Amino acid sequence: MIKVSNLQAGYGAVRAVRGVSLTLGKGELVTVLGANGAGKSSLMLTIAGALKPTGGQVFFDGKDVTGATPERMVRLGLAMVPETRDVFPDLTVAENLRLGAYIRRKQVDAVQADLEKMYEIFPRLKEREHQAGGTLSGGEQQMLVIARAMMSDPKVLLLDEPSLGLAPNLVDQIFEMILELKATGLSILLVEQNASKALQIADRAYVLRLGEIAAEGTAAEISEASDLHAMYLGG
Amino acid sequence: MKRHIITVGILIGLVILVVVAVEVANVRLFVRIAINLCIMLVLVLGLQVFMGNSGILSFAHIGFMGVGAYTSAMLTIPLQMRGMALPDLYPVLANVLLSPYITIIMGGLVAAAVAAAISYPLMRLSDAAAVITSFALLVVLHTIMLHWSEVTNGPRTLFGIPKVTNLYLAATVAAVAIVAALAFKESRLGILVRATRDDEVAAAAMGANIPNLRWIAFIISALFAGIGGALWGHFITSFSPKAFYLKETFVILGMLVIGGPRTVTGAVFGVFIVTIAFEALRALEGMINQAQIFSEQVAGVTEIVLALAMIAVLVFRPGGLLTTREIGDMIVHGRNKRGEK
Amino acid sequence: MVGLIQFIIDFLSLGGAYALMALGLVIVYGILKLVNFAYGELIMVAGYTLYLVGGTGMPWIFMAIIAILMSVLFGILTDYVAFRPVRAKSVTAVLITSFAFSTLLQNGALLFISPRPRNIPLPDIFTETIEIAGVITPIRNLLTIATAVISLSLFTWLMRRTVIGIAMRAAATHFTMARMLGVPANLIITSAFAISGLLAGIVSMFWLGRIGAVTPGIGLEPLLIAFIATVIGGMRSLQGAVLGGFLLAFIDTGLNYTLPQDLLKFRDAFTFSLVILILLWRPEGLLKGPASGQRT
Repeated sequence: MIKVSNLQAGYGAVRAVRGVSLTLGKGELVTVLGANGAGKSSLMLTIAGALKPTGGQVFFDGKDVTGATPERMVRLGLAMVPETRDVFPDLTVAENLRLGAYIRRKQVDAVQADLEKMYEIFPRLKEREHQAGGTLSGGEQQMLVIARAMMSDPKVLLLDEPSLGLAPNLVDQIFEMILELKATGLSILLVEQNASKALQIADRAYVLRLGEIAAEGTAAEISEASDLHAMYLGG
Repeated sequence: MKRHIITVGILIGLVILVVVAVEVANVRLFVRIAINLCIMLVLVLGLQVFMGNSGILSFAHIGFMGVGAYTSAMLTIPLQMRGMALPDLYPVLANVLLSPYITIIMGGLVAAAVAAAISYPLMRLSDAAAVITSFALLVVLHTIMLHWSEVTNGPRTLFGIPKVTNLYLAATVAAVAIVAALAFKESRLGILVRATRDDEVAAAAMGANIPNLRWIAFIISALFAGIGGALWGHFITSFSPKAFYLKETFVILGMLVIGGPRTVTGAVFGVFIVTIAFEALRALEGMINQAQIFSEQVAGVTEIVLALAMIAVLVFRPGGLLTTREIGDMIVHGRNKRGEK
Repeated sequence: MVGLIQFIIDFLSLGGAYALMALGLVIVYGILKLVNFAYGELIMVAGYTLYLVGGTGMPWIFMAIIAILMSVLFGILTDYVAFRPVRAKSVTAVLITSFAFSTLLQNGALLFISPRPRNIPLPDIFTETIEIAGVITPIRNLLTIATAVISLSLFTWLMRRTVIGIAMRAAATHFTMARMLGVPANLIITSAFAISGLLAGIVSMFWLGRIGAVTPGIGLEPLLIAFIATVIGGMRSLQGAVLGGFLLAFIDTGLNYTLPQDLLKFRDAFTFSLVILILLWRPEGLLKGPASGQRT
C-alpha cells in the first residue's frame, strides 16, 4: 500500500529523516520503533503530506505521491493520527467525528452508519457526544482521534504513539482495538515507544535511529535481537 | 574589516555624489529632494537597526520621529513667535531657547528615552502580538501629539520652526547614520540580535536575553528616528501631527522592504530607488494635473506604485533587493572568486 | 429612566456594529494568526460601490446588496493578492503586504474617484427618528440592532451547523490536522475572507449611514475598533470578538456620557494603551480562546 524510498525530510537545518526506505503491505500491521528524536513522527508527518520531503519518494497504492498535500493523501485513502492527537478542543465529539468524514460529506447515509458504528466500538464517545473535545480525558481523546481518522473510511491508517501518556489498562484497550482494525483488512503503520507491546501485535518492524533505519525484520526477529536496546540508545 | 570599509565608502560615496550633483545642477527642487532623501536615509536606517536585525515589524517608528520633531521645535521657535505658535506651552519652557544643533540631538535623546521607558515589556512579544502592540503604540503616540496642545499645538499646524537643515547638515547626519547602522549590525550586540531573528530558540538556549537585546536595538532605532524627525522639522519649518502617521509609516516601510531590511546597503538602496521613483511619478502627476487632462487632481499614483512594488518584492524576492550581503561583501567576495580562477 | 433607555439603545446599536466589525477581523485572524490590515478598506469599498450605483435609480436594497457583494469580492481579492502569495514565507511579509494592499485600495479610491467625501444614497428610513417610551432615537439605531442580531444568528448557524463552518472552527485551532482530515486549506481561508467581507459589507451600511458619506480614509476607524474589540475579547475566540465589541461599545458610550470634553479627546490614547497592556498581560487576548489542545 505504501512504499517509501530513500525519504528525507527535516525542519530548516535539522534533518530529521535521513534516507528512510520502508514498505507497508495490504492488511499488514507494521511498527516503527525508536528512541525519542529518532525521526519517527517526522517520518509519519512526511508520509501524510504535512511535512514536505527534501528528497526521496513516497508511493501510495503504486502511485507516486511525493510532496502531495495532506488533503490529497486523505482523498487517496490515508488517515493519520498524529502524536499530538490534535482533538479540535472547541468542537463537540460529534462535530469532531463529522469533520473526520469531510471527504465523504456527500454520502450522508454511509457517514451516519459509520458514526453509529464508531459509537458502538467506543460507547464512551456516545456518552460524550455533545461535549467539547477539549473536555475529554487523555484516553477518551485518543479514542476520539482514532475514531475520527476511521470516519474517512481509509485504506491505510498511520498511528503515531497511540499509547502515549495513557494508563496501562487503557493502553491494553487501545492495542486490542488496533488488532480489531487490522482484522477488517486495514493496513496500519504504527509508531510506538512501547516496543514490547507493539512487537506483540505487529507483523513486521523497523527500528529507526537518528533518522535512519537501523534494523528491520519480522516482529519476532526484532524481538529476539538482543541488541534492541543498543540500537535504541545508539550504543 | 576591509569589506566594511568598502561598504561604508560606497554608501557614503553615493550620498556625496548626490550632494555634488545637486550643487552642480543648482536647481532648488533638486536641493529639496536631496535633503529629503538624506532625512529618509536617517529614518529608514533607524528602522533597519531594529526591524532588520530583530526581524520584528515595527509600526511605531514614525511616532518617535514625531517625538523628535516636536521636542526640537518646542525649544527652538523664536521667543517672539512662541506665544502664537504654542500658546499653551508650559511656563517653565516658555522662555527656553536653545540652539537647534543641540535640540536636534535632544530630539533623538528624548525619542530614545520615551522608547526606553515604554518598550521593554513589548519586546517579549513576537509575531502578530508584537505587530499589533507596535501599531497600537503608533496610535497612542499619534493621539497624544494630536491632543497635547501644550507642546504640540494640538491638531493645528505648528509653525515658526527655524530653518537650519541644509543639504550639508542632512548629508552629514545621513553619513553618520550609515556608519552607525553598519557598526551596530556588526557589533557583538548586533550579531546577537540577528541570531535571535534567525533562531529565537537557539539564541535563547545560548543564553541570549532576547527582550534585552531587542530593547537596546529599539532604543537606538528610536534615537535615529528622533534625530531624523528633528532634522525634518527644521527643514519643513511647519507641520502638524498628521505628518507622523500611517502614510509616512508606509513610505519608510516600503523603502526598507524593497531595498532589503537585513542589510544596511539594502536600506540605503531602498531609499534611493523609492525616492527616485517617487519624484519621477510626482513630476508625472504634476504634468498631468497641469495639462488638465482629467477634471480632478490626480493623486495617489505614487502610493499605488509603491504598494504594488512592495507586494511584488515580497512575493518574488522576500528578502528585498539586497537580501543578506552588504555591497562590500559582494565586492570582496566577487574579487576572491575571480582570484580563485 | 429616559436616560437609561437612551443609553441602552446607543450602547446596543454601537455594540452591534462593533461586534460585526470585530468578528470580520477575527474570523481571518483565528485561522491564519495574521492581522488583515486591509480590513477597513472593505468598508470603504462598500461605500464607494453605493456611491457609484447611486445614480442608477434602482431600489436602495439592491444597491446595498451590490455594495455588500463588492465587499465580499474584495475580501476574497485580499486573500489572493496580499495573503496567498506570501503566506508560506513569513508572518512579517504577510503583515506588510496586507498593509500595502490597504494603501493600494485607499489610493485607488483617491486616484479614480476623489480625495473629497462622496455622498452615498441612503433610504429615507435611515434619517427618520422614532419615539420609544419618551426617547427620540433614529430608526437607524434600531435597524442596526436588528441587523446585528440577525447577522450574528446567521453566523452562529453557519459555524455550528454547516460542514464548512465546523471545518473553519477546526482550522482555527489545528490547521494542519484539519488538512489531514481532507479539509482543503485554500477553501477554508478563502471562505474566511469572504465571510470577513460579508460582515464588513453589512456593517458598512450602518457605519456609513451614520456619516452619510465615504472618503478614502474611512476604513481606519473601523479597523482600529475591530482591533481593540478583538484584543479585549480574545483574538482566537469568535464569541470573544462579539463580547469585545459590546464591551468596547459599553466603554465608549459610557465615557461619552461621563467623561468631560477635554479628556474625551484622549479616549483613543486610553483605549489603545489598554490594548497594549492587555496584550502584554495576555498575548492571546483577554478572554481565553479554545484550549490549544497541544497536550501529549
